[in-house]
Amino acid sequence: MSAFSPAGLLALSGALLGLGLFGILTRRNFILLLISVEIAINAAVLNFVYFAAFSGSSSALSGQAIAVVLIGLAATEVAVGLAIVLGLNRLRGSINVAEASALRR
Amino acid sequence: MILEELAFLVIAAVAIVTAANALLVRELVHTILWIALFFVDLAALYFLLAAPFLGVLELGVYAGAVTILLLFGVMVTRKRIFAREAVTGIGPAPLLLAGLVLAVVVVGAEELPSGEGTVHAYAPALLSQALFNADGPWLLLLGLAMLSALAGAIYLVREGRE
Repeated sequence: MSAFSPAGLLALSGALLGLGLFGILTRRNFILLLISVEIAINAAVLNFVYFAAFSGSSSALSGQAIAVVLIGLAATEVAVGLAIVLGLNRLRGSINVAEASALRR
Repeated sequence: MILEELAFLVIAAVAIVTAANALLVRELVHTILWIALFFVDLAALYFLLAAPFLGVLELGVYAGAVTILLLFGVMVTRKRIFAREAVTGIGPAPLLLAGLVLAVVVVGAEELPSGEGTVHAYAPALLSQALFNADGPWLLLLGLAMLSALAGAIYLVREGRE
């Protein structure tokens, strides 16, 4: 049983979400994009865990349960993302997302 | 509790530094090493927030599986794995967007709750009860999503596709 100020925790997840968005907006390498998305998703999962930890009600464990589901979904997303990386590498010889413009006219 | 506050400050600083380093270093392999540290640090934060099951899950899924998967992706897609990334500049639009988001955050920071909240600890067995009773549908949906993702990933990388 310990006490925290929730503001610091929320500020941390806000900063991590900002870092993830920065990576998504500025990086061109597909793997770096995936990593940025992971950072942003982890910031969201942190919020679920915070509010589950600070809420004393009996349904608070739903927050942790949703966090478990989100971690699984994020791992799934990385697996599909890497399949796309491999396909892109085979088609284009590079994993630069700026070059994957086959649908652009 | 001064000790927990101190631990949280250290963990938060390490999280931000490792995440920023992961996005800023130019060797992709170094990025993955930094992101592995980031995940281990988040696992420590989950332990601090009295969620030990999530901490172990973070260590196993992220620091273990996702890191290796990303490393594998780097390994098979480049000739020299320590090759450097080209520097990409930041255009005016992201800078404008960043300024906008910063303004929203500064305004929102005044709404943050002040004072201290108490961290409640739960037994991991209670979490499994919640996970398989009340929140069971979410777990089923996760299983379906993983199954379809597996099929999609195999479709994307299968042989003989041009």
